[in-house]
Amino acid sequence: MRADQQLKASLKEIDDLKAALDQHAIVAITDPQGKITYANDKFCIISKYSRAELLGQDHRLINSGHHSKEFIRQLWKTIASGKVWKGEIKNRAKDGTFYWVDTTIVPFLDDDAKPRQYVAIRADITERKRGEAAREHLAAIVNSSDDAIIGKTLKGIISSWNPGAEKMFGYRAADVIGKPVTILFPPELVSEEEEILRRIARGENVKHFETVRVRKDGQRLDVSVTISPIVNPAGEIVGASKVARDITERKRAEAEIRQLNLELEARVAKRTAQLKAANEELEAYSYSVSHDLRAPLRAMNGFARILEEQCHDQLAPDARHAIERISANAAKMGQLIDSLLDFSSLNWRPVTKKPVTPAAIARMVYEELRPESNGHRVEIKIDNLPRCEADPTLLKQVFVNLLSNALKYSRNRNPAKIKVGWRKEADGPVYFVQDNGAGFDMEHAGKLFRVFQRLHTSDQFEGTGAGLAIVDRIIQRHGGRIWAEAAVDQGAIFYFTLGRSPVKS
Amino acid sequence: MNDETTDILLVEDSQDDARFFTRAIEESRLGTRLRIARNGVEAMAMIFGVGDPDQAMPVIWPRLVVLDLKMPMVGGREVLRRLKGNLHTRSIPVVVFSSSVEKRELVESYHLGANSCVVKPTDFEEFRKAVRLLGQYWLQFNQPSKP
Repeated sequence: MRADQQLKASLKEIDDLKAALDQHAIVAITDPQGKITYANDKFCIISKYSRAELLGQDHRLINSGHHSKEFIRQLWKTIASGKVWKGEIKNRAKDGTFYWVDTTIVPFLDDDAKPRQYVAIRADITERKRGEAAREHLAAIVNSSDDAIIGKTLKGIISSWNPGAEKMFGYRAADVIGKPVTILFPPELVSEEEEILRRIARGENVKHFETVRVRKDGQRLDVSVTISPIVNPAGEIVGASKVARDITERKRAEAEIRQLNLELEARVAKRTAQLKAANEELEAYSYSVSHDLRAPLRAMNGFARILEEQCHDQLAPDARHAIERISANAAKMGQLIDSLLDFSSLNWRPVTKKPVTPAAIARMVYEELRPESNGHRVEIKIDNLPRCEADPTLLKQVFVNLLSNALKYSRNRNPAKIKVGWRKEADGPVYFVQDNGAGFDMEHAGKLFRVFQRLHTSDQFEGTGAGLAIVDRIIQRHGGRIWAEAAVDQGAIFYFTLGRSPVKS
Repeated sequence: MNDETTDILLVEDSQDDARFFTRAIEESRLGTRLRIARNGVEAMAMIFGVGDPDQAMPVIWPRLVVLDLKMPMVGGREVLRRLKGNLHTRSIPVVVFSSSVEKRELVESYHLGANSCVVKPTDFEEFRKAVRLLGQYWLQFNQPSKP
């Protein structure tokens, strides 16, 4: 009875201890072959398997594959020889997630010293492992950074030194930890540190501060430094982290760009001045040419006239004809000079774009030109052209030249038909002037806009050959395009655009 | 004091143009008395004699000066500047008469005090007409300030 009571008491004690252990730890028992024979609630919870799923299963069920074969072999060797094994193990739960357990495996031996069963007692250390991994990750980032990452105390004493700092400044961590950070400062900049420390103590950052630091070998570096206070969990500022980036190369590139910009500006200024001088020279030259060429023309013209007037009665018809030809040619040359000057002046005259109404300009020009058609029947149609931006004087010149051409080359038609129209295209309106006149062979279209190139003889159609060249130059100066379509005796169409500008309908 | 011997002083270096001018004046049969200076230096000497052009009294008082701009040595611009800069001569009308008048020169001429600027026509008929009209306007219609 007494023994019975003692036994009862012992069993009760064992039950209590077991209950306490189950509360505290993950407990599993396996047979010598590794089959699970017991699993407590905590084991079920962490492994996410039910007890029924665990019992009778090989313990490898929760193997994560994380540990090496050697690690596992050592474990078994230890416990099989009756020794306790301790270690950290990564296991896999039913849902595939992993967990870490701090594990103690105690082998229980039978009478002949062979393991009878193994009792594994484990504690969940997944959180701790995760923290460690995060810390290792951060440490790896710091270690692999090209930037120098330096920790220092509130007194400016270096407390950590990454490989980036080693590479940048040439000191090894052991050389500098415990030394003031000012060993990296050039003598004249040591005072910067006081201000930096003051700001850190106030909890402020110093961001992208560009300054100069000195390497161990004395070489100076341009660096961009960001310094931030390090705050402990209690919210106290305990030091500062300093990230320094070598910007020597960037600084050098910046200086080079500045230098190149200066050179470019100087070159542009020089070219502009040269261009201005060239334009002025051209203008003076044109003026001089026009003055000097006109004087002899006036003389030819004048004397031919005087000769004719004074000697009219003595002159044979041939001689009178010769005098007439002298006058006519002098007049023609005068026109050529005027055209040449008009044409060359387009090179320097500024183009002043304003909102204009092309249809109104075309109508005005036609009214001015109409007397020249000498009562010839002309059917003119001027469409409602969209408004645009152009130099009004120059656009007028475009219509004068195109419309007078249209009138001239269609004067053998009865009636002459002239149309000023437009069509819409992606990059703005395309204007055109169309006639039903003599046209031309498209094979020669390339010569059309060249100065003093003509596709008709003066006997057929008078002209200097500057008109279309002037139109072409004006269109060019506006940033537009001009082209033509024609066929012999089928009339011609001249199209033009006036460059990109806001178009108002 | 007025000089009764000169109606128009033509300052012109081109002998041909001078001849056409003369001819056109004669054709208009107004009895216009014309003197011709063949360049700026000669013009200054005619007007001021040996005096300092900036302040001297002129020795002749043309009723109109017709001035070519482009001349060797002392150009028309210089003559214009002197005439309009001298208190005694600045009321004499000056017409700039040049083959081509560049805009800049036009502005400058008026700024210096030119009373009119006329482009010399290349065509002889136009030239003749221009000279005739100039004479008519400045010598017949225009009321000068009497010196």
